[in-house]
Amino acid sequence: MAADAPHPAFEGYATEAVPQAAVGSPGKDGVLELTFERTAEGTTLVHDYATVPFHISGTLGYDPLPEADTVFVQSPTGGVAQGDRHDVSITVGDDAIAHVSTQSSTKVQTMTCNYAAADTTLSVGAGGHLDYVPEPTILHADSRYLQELSVDLAPGATAVVSDVVVPGRLARGERFEFERYLSRVRGTGPDGLLFEDATHLTPGDEDPTAPGVLGEFTVYGTTFVLAPDRDGTELSDALHSVVADGEARAGATALPNDAGVAVRALGDRAETVQSTLHAAWDHARQKLLDAPAPSGRKY
Amino acid sequence: MTDAATLESFRLADSFLPVGTYTVSYGLEQFIQDDRVEDAADLKSLLSTYLRQQVGPAELVALRAAHAAANGGDLDTVCRADRRLSAVTLAAEFRESAQQSGDRLLSLQTELREEALLDRYAERVDADEAPGNYAVVLGVATGLADVAVREACLLCCHGFVTGLLGAAQRLLSLGHTDAQRILDELRPAMTAAVEKSADNGIGEMTPFAPLVDVLAAEHERAERRLFAS
Repeated sequence: MAADAPHPAFEGYATEAVPQAAVGSPGKDGVLELTFERTAEGTTLVHDYATVPFHISGTLGYDPLPEADTVFVQSPTGGVAQGDRHDVSITVGDDAIAHVSTQSSTKVQTMTCNYAAADTTLSVGAGGHLDYVPEPTILHADSRYLQELSVDLAPGATAVVSDVVVPGRLARGERFEFERYLSRVRGTGPDGLLFEDATHLTPGDEDPTAPGVLGEFTVYGTTFVLAPDRDGTELSDALHSVVADGEARAGATALPNDAGVAVRALGDRAETVQSTLHAAWDHARQKLLDAPAPSGRKY
Repeated sequence: MTDAATLESFRLADSFLPVGTYTVSYGLEQFIQDDRVEDAADLKSLLSTYLRQQVGPAELVALRAAHAAANGGDLDTVCRADRRLSAVTLAAEFRESAQQSGDRLLSLQTELREEALLDRYAERVDADEAPGNYAVVLGVATGLADVAVREACLLCCHGFVTGLLGAAQRLLSLGHTDAQRILDELRPAMTAAVEKSADNGIGEMTPFAPLVDVLAAEHERAERRLFAS
């Protein structure tokens, strides 16, 4: 009988071996490209291209600011798997205003070999604004994840870029069981590098709960408010007072090279870190765009 | 090393060196204020975090690059390492402290030494083309004085730890013997930080101590404080 014979006892399960799709094969090399331009109607998504696991269902008229456009990136898969290499490029044209988020958390699945990586390139044109505020990244046990994000700002451009990491499926008691997580965020402007931030956690080698690292906290997030042409010290003080009394332990500081402000928040649950960072985002948006941040609700 | 190089390294490692170490606590003041550091054991474990997460992956990488570049007379690389170190130091207070003590060390060295590279570097710093971070100035100074790079890195760790121990003595009831014991017990942490930093080039400075950053942000706005950072 043929190896894929439908019955008797499935023929030794059709001689086993269904090797996993290799690195770079369809479904493993997801690409997402979004380009927003300023038009007479406000902001329009003029180019979009998405391959699995990314999916786009058009734009949403969701932003409190009428001239802004919103895209929630969807995923039909259960998350990021070993061997995945994702490539995201988002371009916001001159004077356009865009908000890009994900529909739900990015779950980085347990791995037995290789690793997963995502490369995100954001670029904002003169006078434009981008809010890139994805839902948290959840690192399942034994996962290895490399995330590189770069944001380039033209003169007069602003951006809010947020990154929250949850070190396991906390509700089931899984925490810091992943193998390696490296996330780098780099900002550039017309004169080159503005700042660079790295989160590197290898819980098996170095205790992430050491004093000064995460301490007694588990969830960690940073919101970068990038506004190179504004007064960073004033914005830093204002954002600090917004987050200082929040549920999460948080603080704001002026970024190097007058790039803007970094708001860091530490908490026990993703919700507290997110709500603290949302308050900072909301305040920053009022200052930069004279409009509140969209509500965090996705359903 | 020659006697001159050894003596130069002693001078640069000495808390007698007038670079304003007594004004900085790199967030330690806030950790004590927040009751996170209450005794010698807490202090030692926080200092080992600083060595492992901040000094090793950022300052020492910059110091090494500056040390090698100074030996080769390559001022552009010195400035690149300097700018990069500022770009990865997100806590505003830490950048200010590193630039203030760097500025003091640079003017001191230009007074004491006849080195064209030091003068040209000082010009770049004056012209705002380089921030003049302490670790980078130290890298240039030790490189020019033929202090070996490993010794220069250890010197940087020793200086950092003694500076913070001095701050701790004014903020906590920490005896001289306890301070010396911590300095002694942190030797392996210093060696580990120095060794690990050898693998990284200018592009790979990755300090990571988020709780230090949050407490430094609180310290920036603290109403009563003894230290500038």
